[in-house]
Amino acid sequence: MQLTVNGEPVEVDPPPGQLLIELLRTDLGLTGTKEACSVGVCGACTVLLDGRMVASCLALAAQADGAEVVTVEGLADDERLHPIQESFLERGGLQCGICTPGQLVAARALLDANPTPSEDEAKRWMTGNLCRCTGYYQILEAIAAASEAEA
Amino acid sequence: MADYVEIGRPTPRVDGLAKVTGAARYVADQAIPGALSGRLVHSTRSHARIVSIDTAEARALPGVHAVITGEDVGHYLYGRMIKDIPVLARGVVRYSGERVAAVAAETEEIARHAADLIEVTYEELPAVLDLDAALEPGAPVLHPDLNAYPGMRPLDEPANAYRWTVNDRGDLDAGFEDADVIVEGEYETQRHHQAYLEPHASIVSIEDGRAHVWTNTKVPQNIRDDLAATVGISRDEIVLHHSHIGGDFGGKGTPMDLPVCYFLAQAAGRPVRMVADYIEEFMAGMPRHATRTRLRTGVRHDGTITAHHVQFFVNSGAYAGYKPAGVIGGAPRAAGPYRIPNTRIEAVHVYTNTVPGGHMRAPGSPQAVFALESHLDEVAGRLGLDPFEFRMRNLVEDGDETAWGQLFDDVRVKETLEAAAEAAGYMEPKRPFVGRGIAIGDHASGGGIGNAEVALEPGGGVVLGTAIFDQGSGTHTTLQQVVAEELRAPLHRIRLEVWDTDGTVDDSGIGGSRASRVNTKVAHEAAQDARRKLVELAAERLGAPEAAITIDGDELHVEGHGQPLHWPALLAEWEERVVGRAYIEDTEPMRVTGFVAQIAEVEVDPETGEIEVIELTTAHDVGRVLNPVGHQGQINGGVVQGLGYALMEELTLEDGRVATLSFGDYKIPTSLDIPPLRTVLIESDAGVGPYTIKGIGETPNVPVAAAIANAVADAVGVRIADLPLTSEKVYRALRDEAARSSRAGSAE
Repeated sequence: MQLTVNGEPVEVDPPPGQLLIELLRTDLGLTGTKEACSVGVCGACTVLLDGRMVASCLALAAQADGAEVVTVEGLADDERLHPIQESFLERGGLQCGICTPGQLVAARALLDANPTPSEDEAKRWMTGNLCRCTGYYQILEAIAAASEAEA
Repeated sequence: MADYVEIGRPTPRVDGLAKVTGAARYVADQAIPGALSGRLVHSTRSHARIVSIDTAEARALPGVHAVITGEDVGHYLYGRMIKDIPVLARGVVRYSGERVAAVAAETEEIARHAADLIEVTYEELPAVLDLDAALEPGAPVLHPDLNAYPGMRPLDEPANAYRWTVNDRGDLDAGFEDADVIVEGEYETQRHHQAYLEPHASIVSIEDGRAHVWTNTKVPQNIRDDLAATVGISRDEIVLHHSHIGGDFGGKGTPMDLPVCYFLAQAAGRPVRMVADYIEEFMAGMPRHATRTRLRTGVRHDGTITAHHVQFFVNSGAYAGYKPAGVIGGAPRAAGPYRIPNTRIEAVHVYTNTVPGGHMRAPGSPQAVFALESHLDEVAGRLGLDPFEFRMRNLVEDGDETAWGQLFDDVRVKETLEAAAEAAGYMEPKRPFVGRGIAIGDHASGGGIGNAEVALEPGGGVVLGTAIFDQGSGTHTTLQQVVAEELRAPLHRIRLEVWDTDGTVDDSGIGGSRASRVNTKVAHEAAQDARRKLVELAAERLGAPEAAITIDGDELHVEGHGQPLHWPALLAEWEERVVGRAYIEDTEPMRVTGFVAQIAEVEVDPETGEIEVIELTTAHDVGRVLNPVGHQGQINGGVVQGLGYALMEELTLEDGRVATLSFGDYKIPTSLDIPPLRTVLIESDAGVGPYTIKGIGETPNVPVAAAIANAVADAVGVRIADLPLTSEKVYRALRDEAARSSRAGSAE
């Protein structure tokens, strides 16, 4: 099957039942996407599938047939970081970093859908992405700052 | 205070770029060619004799390279101090979730299938699943051979209460006789999982007689030594390589599955990768201990505490080995930073047939502080004193010993509480069903051994070498700031190099807030050593006396020379590299501690018992802040962990088995659960080390539960004495209270 991953066309032949996260991490070497809870609750493995957030630990690789997949490795534009990446860095939106790829992908999807979210909208959107280090405050500050910078 | 450029400046994480681009490699991301997948078989019984383990079908499965049981690996026990944990169970299992067998196979799928094919036959033994059952006279003893365990303090008679300590100060009986009022209380806390999002993971590759290890640990030197002792090889035969670590909170400091991974790699003759799934994390991790605290306090009418008796019962679970000291601290925290002349403090550690507990952020403190600070509000209530006023009358000042007999310099606890009360508007009027609650804690940074190297390179590059594996708390960034400060060099010129375990012989790693204390000091010394060596080299090459040479940033001034020289250019010209190195043993108990005072404001729905936290105020006595971004991050994350502990998190057991096996059942706070948080920092130059700092990692999560429990009591008059403070408990307590008052009414 063919798909686009972070803008690059890719041809793969996934075994039946292969999960999207396995395809990304093992076959394509894109280990930026993290597996934590493995049951679609924590959000660490979040990627964009045709612009929509999915838990890649639950999605089948076959669901990506013909689709466009964006992972954390695809957020930066060549050497230039996406504003949300800059903002997480500056504001302390990450500590251990294990949930960060999922947080960034979710935050990017939020800003794509709603460039100027209120704090409450941001909290609601990000509720599927658990973080144990930050208590979320600096993640929400980073989203607000990135939103302002873009606005 | 001294003027600094880098110290105190908000500084983005040194590992941040790698982490926001997905380039940072964690253990599970390491590509090890030819690595097999390892999986465990866990006990399904709380206490049972292993009759047989049938591995024939698993061994016959194509793609399986090794199957091991306790009989294959021999009688290996491990543990940080008390060595009581079998690598794989032999003869008996002591909790549901214990490691019983393991397989290594070509793929994860085959390994899981093979693990499912292993048949274990058990003969059930009577199990003790809680403190009461374990302490009952005649209860089954989990460890009849405990006196043979290395690190165990021998008992006259083997018992489940494997350590019972009693510490007396003053005269307890006289203190109670001196009291006008005596108040008793009992408080319980639940098992609490660290819930780092990265599960435990290990990779072992044995090549040319050396075991190459990748494992998510914050104490790599200890883990190398533990693994060597556990599997019976020398420490030189092991090297631990660095990976990023996906959270810790105390949970990433023991070998966990690593010894099994080693034996699988040895048996298979191939590298083996074991990545736990989160079911295993909840079922067989090493959560914060469940506890019961009994308190008895004598007070005079004027609020003076005359006597205080603590009994702190710790449910150790089936083993003691996950606790770095064999026991956890905490009991003294149930007496607190109060001036109490007569105390008895008992700590009792008890084996039960449940998942073993381990360290979690400020081990023992949240449990004990929940008990003490809840209890003190009850005492204040009995005296008709406001909880703030009651505390102010009893908190220590300079020159006072704490209830445990500690004497700290520069005591700022009253100042901290006053600042919290002021910021929170504690004295302001409240609406009905709104309450405010206070709680206090403290933590003095632990000590340890640290290493650092600072190399000045031709052209001006600086390489900062460290033995620390940063688990997320930001130590690498503060080390970079220290070197930038001391060399007056911009951060971007300082490249961090994390050593594998061959880089040094001993290092305490991270834990107990020691990293900021020990490692800022050792990095400072290494940078100073590099400056000294640069002067020595320059003196030799330039033919000038050392005393005539000074360094100012990149400039090298030589007395009598007109123009300053430029050391990056000199080193390039001389083709020299200058290496400063430091090793310190900074193990003395700290003379200062860092206090925290928190105030929760809650609204309780009297119909449903639902608690809404309207606002949290957290005030900290911090010394100097190294990196405001990271410092605030520690406070935020700690407070929210405390909030989860207070309101929602509980590793529940059913028949001894952990029942909350996913993040769907084990709820941690999400972005929707966080209240407005107000932080107050009380800075001073009274900290430790070259920059007068205090650790901040531990305290923010400590008082939260007590502050909220006290606020609930203030709002609706019911005391919830066991965590978590669920709506159901508040509802039941309100209903019972209503029934009591209506009975009292009809009796009149």
